[in-house]
Amino acid sequence: MMRQVIYALALGIVVSYYFFGWGIVLQIVLGVITAVAVESAFLAFRGRDIISSISDGSIILTAILLAISIPNIAPWWVIIVGISFAIIFGKQLYGGLGNNLFNPAMLGYVFLLISYPLQMSTWPINFLSFDQALEVVFNLSNIDAISGATRLDEIKNSLSLSNSIKQLEIHFPSQVWINVGFFFGGLYLLFRKIISWHIPVSFLVGIVITSVLLWISNVDLYIPMQNHIMLGGTMLGAFFIATDPVSASTTINGRIIYGFLIGVLIVIIRTFGGYPDGIAFAVLLMNMTVPLIDVYTQPKVFGQ
Amino acid sequence: MSNYSFKGGIVIKNPYLVNKVEIIQASLPKKIILPLQKFDGKAKPCVSVGDYVLVGQVVASTESGFDVSSHASISGVVLSIDTQDIVHKSGFKFQCITIKSDGEDKWIDNKGGNVDFLHYSKETLVGIIQKSGIVGMGGAGFPTHVKINKVLDCHTLIINGTECEPGVMCDDALMQFYPKEIILGIEILLYICGADRAIIAIEDDKQAAYQALLTVNRNDRININQIPTKYTSGAEKLLIKALLDIEILSGGFAINEGIICQNISTTKAVFDAVINHKPLVSRIVTVTGDGVYPNNFEVRLGASFEHLISMTSPNTKEHNYRMGGMMMGIDVVDINMPIGKTTSAIFVNNKVSEPIVQECIRCGQCSEVCPIGLLPQQLYWYIKSKNFEKALNYNLPDCIECACCDYVCPSHIPLVSYFSFAKTFSKQQTIEQNKVNTARERFKYREYRLERNKLERAQVMLDKKKALKEKMAKEQFQKQKITEAIQRVKQAKDKI
Repeated sequence: MMRQVIYALALGIVVSYYFFGWGIVLQIVLGVITAVAVESAFLAFRGRDIISSISDGSIILTAILLAISIPNIAPWWVIIVGISFAIIFGKQLYGGLGNNLFNPAMLGYVFLLISYPLQMSTWPINFLSFDQALEVVFNLSNIDAISGATRLDEIKNSLSLSNSIKQLEIHFPSQVWINVGFFFGGLYLLFRKIISWHIPVSFLVGIVITSVLLWISNVDLYIPMQNHIMLGGTMLGAFFIATDPVSASTTINGRIIYGFLIGVLIVIIRTFGGYPDGIAFAVLLMNMTVPLIDVYTQPKVFGQ
Repeated sequence: MSNYSFKGGIVIKNPYLVNKVEIIQASLPKKIILPLQKFDGKAKPCVSVGDYVLVGQVVASTESGFDVSSHASISGVVLSIDTQDIVHKSGFKFQCITIKSDGEDKWIDNKGGNVDFLHYSKETLVGIIQKSGIVGMGGAGFPTHVKINKVLDCHTLIINGTECEPGVMCDDALMQFYPKEIILGIEILLYICGADRAIIAIEDDKQAAYQALLTVNRNDRININQIPTKYTSGAEKLLIKALLDIEILSGGFAINEGIICQNISTTKAVFDAVINHKPLVSRIVTVTGDGVYPNNFEVRLGASFEHLISMTSPNTKEHNYRMGGMMMGIDVVDINMPIGKTTSAIFVNNKVSEPIVQECIRCGQCSEVCPIGLLPQQLYWYIKSKNFEKALNYNLPDCIECACCDYVCPSHIPLVSYFSFAKTFSKQQTIEQNKVNTARERFKYREYRLERNKLERAQVMLDKKKALKEKMAKEQFQKQKITEAIQRVKQAKDKI
């Protein structure tokens, strides 16, 4: 099951590689190696069976999700620190697979975002060759020329310079294509019935409703709906992150509420918050409410 | 086709497809074991060891109105009457009669047959059904005469021919080969319970059976209704929901809504009993699984599983055996145990290594397939942390143990085992709790009694004291009166 999710991620990763080059590959390799090492060490420490835990693929999925969420020119230690935190504090301290309250990848992401804001906000602007990527990631030389802020960041910054939305040139940047890649990956998951439609659909509906409402209230100030949908990590969040079964709600109605509120929170955090993208925060916030949602959305029992 | 449905359930493709459904007459067993286990009452053996019995002869008669008779299914000599292990969920031993065959297959004289059932009164028919040893042959084994007799105003009789468990095909075969008998059996049941109509429910993958019944049915009170092939549609309450869109309340019974459900095999047995005066001595059993070529056998009750399996030439691998369906059946440890009235199938499966149980990842697939609308993973979580009370609050007692959740669980967690364990445990706990409560009540009453006695005694003392006081006061008063009188006399004397 987890393996299918990893396969579905491939398309988005390939698109990302097409635009930004080898950085993402390096991050994934580093992330997976660290994840397996940390997980094995911890399982050995706890006296659990290592092979069966590693082979279920969940830990590799966590590593890949975190690796593709962080900037792919982030220094090598960022992913290592992030994934170690994610596994130890996000998963193993709760008792391993199935017991964690929070989405480990997002916990790692937020930890990195808060601790290393500079490293977490620079993105490459060009395709990086393998050599260039190695140089940047392992800090062999400093290449400022190839990095820049994300589109959402860019929009936000220019808005704060009191430019109106209309004055901003909205391109179809690389991020849109990456989002398209993850969208089709998500469709594959839906088609294979690995995930149910409830969370992704309500997630996107939440984004659409909130952003349209904001946009109607002030056309000049707020980002239009299509930008919310197509920029940032929206599709990755909708199909791959919010749908993590362990930390999501388990009832049908609960999932709809859960996904919808994540969507709403994302737009609010993106618009009013200090961080460019709000997926990680929104997901973690909603993770906290899952036990409550689950209690109040129990299905009707036959004959009662 | 019925327009209604119920939530959940799973579609399982029959894993052991056969292109032809037929009924093979099984050879006479050398020995039979007849368990006398029933519900409340116990049928009492009316033969003794060494007696010679004929096929169809009553070997255990009923005493309570809740019980049915048992009949010898082969002719021969009674070997023993003792308690033995049989395949049963409880794991208890039951009293059994063992008969050794003489190889003759001699029947009792069953006094003709082919009579018009309308000549009988309803009570007589109920009596015949009871004396013929007919119980629900679908699995639960509830005595048929009790079900049809209890009714006050039954409007619908549902005949369950869904056979929703994949692999089982004994009812399918029965419907294909005995459609006339089944229809007549239903007419008898209709006559007894006075229902307006009968609905035969057949899953839509059993077209041959459907056509067979359709061609012979001339009775416009009997509808033949196809329902979508989905597992757990054979469960009584869900079947009623799928056919009539009536939801039987949790803890309630179909009869409260004026509905009676009967298994299709039971109708055939009713026909045999009423029309042919033939008691229930045999049934059709499906032998299937990946260890054998699937077949239906008409076999005498009490024959061993081994007897049946030996006729199917199983492959040479090691096998697991399972009685009933592959979803809800019971594992058979010893295949020398007997086939009973409710044995619909026996699965002979090659032994495979058990899948490794992994942690629950809360994927929620179990709650999607649960036909009752429970949250199995939540229940599992509470039971695992021994929080039985919480599990009960999450409607654990409503679980019908259909094993849909087990089937879809990607982590291979044996959820139903957890649930049945918790049910038994909480039942046990309730019993213990009741004992504690009774003891506490008794203690409280004792305290109360002692207190009451004390108060009573105090009251008595008080009364006595009061009486004494009054008496003293009275005496005082009298004394005073006397003194006054004396004084008056004195004064009078003085005056004089």
